[in-house]
Amino acid sequence: MNRARTFFLLLLALLVFCFGIAANLAPRFQAFENSRHQSDNFFSLLLGDSSRIFANSSFVEADAYYHSGYYPTIYDNNSNFQTPHIAEDTGAIASHNQGAEDEGFLGPPRDWLDAFGRHFIPNRHTHLDEGGPADDLSTSKEVREILPWLKLSAELDPENIKTYVVTAFWLRTRLDQVSEAEQVLREGLRHNPDNAQLLFELGRIYSENYDNPARARNIWGAALRSWARQQPGVPQSQRLKMTRENFDDRFMFEQLQTSLAKLEEKAGNRDAAIVRWEQARLASPNPDDVQRHIDKLKQKLPATVSPK
Amino acid sequence: MNIILRTEKLRVEFKSREFRQSPKVALRGLDLEINAGEVFGFLGPNGAGKTTTINVLLGFVRPTSGSASLFGIDVRQPIARQRIGYLPELTYYYKFLTAEELLRFYSRIFSLPRAEAEKRIDAVLKLVELESARKRLIKTYSKGMQQRVGLAQALINNPDLLILDEPTSGLDPLGRMKVREIIQRLKSEGKTVFFSSHELGEVETVCDRVAIISDGELKAVGRVGDIMGPRASLEKAFLDIVGYQPQSAP
Amino acid sequence: MNNIFAVAGVVIKELYRRKDFYVLFILTVVICLVMASVNIYNDNEIIRYIKALCLLLIWISSLVIAITTTARQIPVEREQRTLLPLLAKPLSRPQLIFGKFLGCWLACGLVLVCFYAFFGALVASREHAWPLLNYFQVAFLHWMTLGVVIALTLLGSLVFAAPSSNSTICFVIVSAILCVGRYLDVMALSRQEPVRSLVYCIYYAIPHLEIPFEMRNLIVHDWPLIGWNFVALDALYLLAYAAAFLIAACLVFRRKAVN
Repeated sequence: MNRARTFFLLLLALLVFCFGIAANLAPRFQAFENSRHQSDNFFSLLLGDSSRIFANSSFVEADAYYHSGYYPTIYDNNSNFQTPHIAEDTGAIASHNQGAEDEGFLGPPRDWLDAFGRHFIPNRHTHLDEGGPADDLSTSKEVREILPWLKLSAELDPENIKTYVVTAFWLRTRLDQVSEAEQVLREGLRHNPDNAQLLFELGRIYSENYDNPARARNIWGAALRSWARQQPGVPQSQRLKMTRENFDDRFMFEQLQTSLAKLEEKAGNRDAAIVRWEQARLASPNPDDVQRHIDKLKQKLPATVSPK
Repeated sequence: MNIILRTEKLRVEFKSREFRQSPKVALRGLDLEINAGEVFGFLGPNGAGKTTTINVLLGFVRPTSGSASLFGIDVRQPIARQRIGYLPELTYYYKFLTAEELLRFYSRIFSLPRAEAEKRIDAVLKLVELESARKRLIKTYSKGMQQRVGLAQALINNPDLLILDEPTSGLDPLGRMKVREIIQRLKSEGKTVFFSSHELGEVETVCDRVAIISDGELKAVGRVGDIMGPRASLEKAFLDIVGYQPQSAP
Repeated sequence: MNNIFAVAGVVIKELYRRKDFYVLFILTVVICLVMASVNIYNDNEIIRYIKALCLLLIWISSLVIAITTTARQIPVEREQRTLLPLLAKPLSRPQLIFGKFLGCWLACGLVLVCFYAFFGALVASREHAWPLLNYFQVAFLHWMTLGVVIALTLLGSLVFAAPSSNSTICFVIVSAILCVGRYLDVMALSRQEPVRSLVYCIYYAIPHLEIPFEMRNLIVHDWPLIGWNFVALDALYLLAYAAAFLIAACLVFRRKAVN
């Protein structure tokens, strides 16, 4: 009887204790709830900021696949692989590579073991879009093999614009998967609204693949407005100065203005085209060439609609 | 007389792991001879050196000095064990094999031709009454069945010398009777049996000769009757020979 | 030789009656099939990432099976006292060591056949090609590598008391060789003496198991066949290391108590 009473008293004490803790912690949990992770991305939740490291590794792995496994490690001379070639070849990403693109990294063998071991690894610099080790251009769709790593990189770091640009480029230009390329860019825009580079690439799809110049013009216009909003306090002249720090910013502006200019030329809108070329000249590393083109234009076509 | 087991001044020392401790002497110059066809009992208190002697004969332990031979061949040669069967005190065998597979494995090591091996397997399994369980994995066997598997593997090569280390340890009376019967049968076939045991009653019954060892030294060897002398039992003789002094009452 | 094959046969029976191989094989199959079912931009012909993943899983599984199976051979026999009735037969200790090695090696060979057969089937379902000679080169040198690992683990099982510690140490050593073995000489250059000399010694002394390991890239990226003379040379190189470890194991086991 005594034992049963003791047991019930203990149980009661435990219940009171638990309720007390719950009452004490409830307000803290409410505050806790508001600082929960806001992202709906599983990798970002699981890995936090380190997901960017993995994203970068995946991007580099895509480049390794582009080279069919022929890729330097941290112990090798990787001065020619600072900017992955899958990005460099798109023409949309600034390159920091030193040396010619087809140069290798292996160098002469360090000893007999190294010399022997090289027979068992990929030992030639090849690109998948040129057929890879087979050097057979008819199989140049092999470049599809880089896509899984690019997809993973995008999942891990959705705010990395470069990944979407590179993926869309290869899908569009080599694999004839234009709708997939568009989906990739729109996915990038969902995570990075109004990003100028993504809008530019989307415009290219409408211009070069869908042959829809009106839509392309609208998108590139939006891209330009987005570019202008990027650094609100900084005047355009400052942003277009020929400095190393300004390179990407200037390059983006030049690409947009050049593409719009070509669009206007193709549509026969000479005056609009000239206005665009004049803007492009401000950012171009070869302003004299651009000026010569403007002069040629002025001599050729009749005046038409002015740009918005 | 054909001597099939001989030790000459056999000495075994084990180095101590303790610092500055002298080595432990397990055997001190053991001289032993066993003739073909006899049942020989090897007796001694715990720690006397019985198992060490058997380990030397089987090549598990190298003697520090002296020699041991089986059928005239030095025990360090694997071929010396071609004609022997060994039953250890604690019987454990590969749990993932069946009794049949285990015996087939051992018969292959003895280089028995396949047809003869199959006959021997059938014969020994029948002898130890494991025919019905021959295709079951050993891990499903009871302790008694595992002991019988041990006996079967000791007999698989129809050995001329059977070395048994405490063969009736842990067996029930039926099991012990079975082991005694097998020993008697082997003796009638002219085989030699060398076994160590604490069961002096059994030793008295089955052995032709016995040796008593204590503290690594051979204290007595001879026929059971000669060892007993005027004493009433082998047990009394054993206690006297090993120098047992009963504690006087306070 | 008869004794060696007899002991080897028992080891092979033990492997296929334990669950290790089946668990790892099913895990590999499930992971690869799940990864193969991922939709990558509506392209059904992408295969290389699956090949890379499958080959990596094959390597990991084969190393786990090789090391854990071998690490338990002698210690468990000693612990379960099955060693005594075995050595009481006309079987010498070197024969036991070689029998255990051969059994583990052949068992791992059978494991590799199963894994590579699955790999070939998986790849053929997308590539519609069977580069059998390429697969043979990689699988053959993989098997040779496992021979070195098994011999090393067997030696370790005689030196270290517990199978778990032996397994851990062997895993660490093998993983280190696979990851950085090729670059130890580069790492040595960046060090001062005497560490530089020590690292150089290690570089030349270790078996370079990473050579067959890195051959995976040749299969993944459809590189042509390696010269057969190089394959033969590497096989001989690995066999030499396996033999050295086995001889060391025999020498250690000669003096070891079995009970």
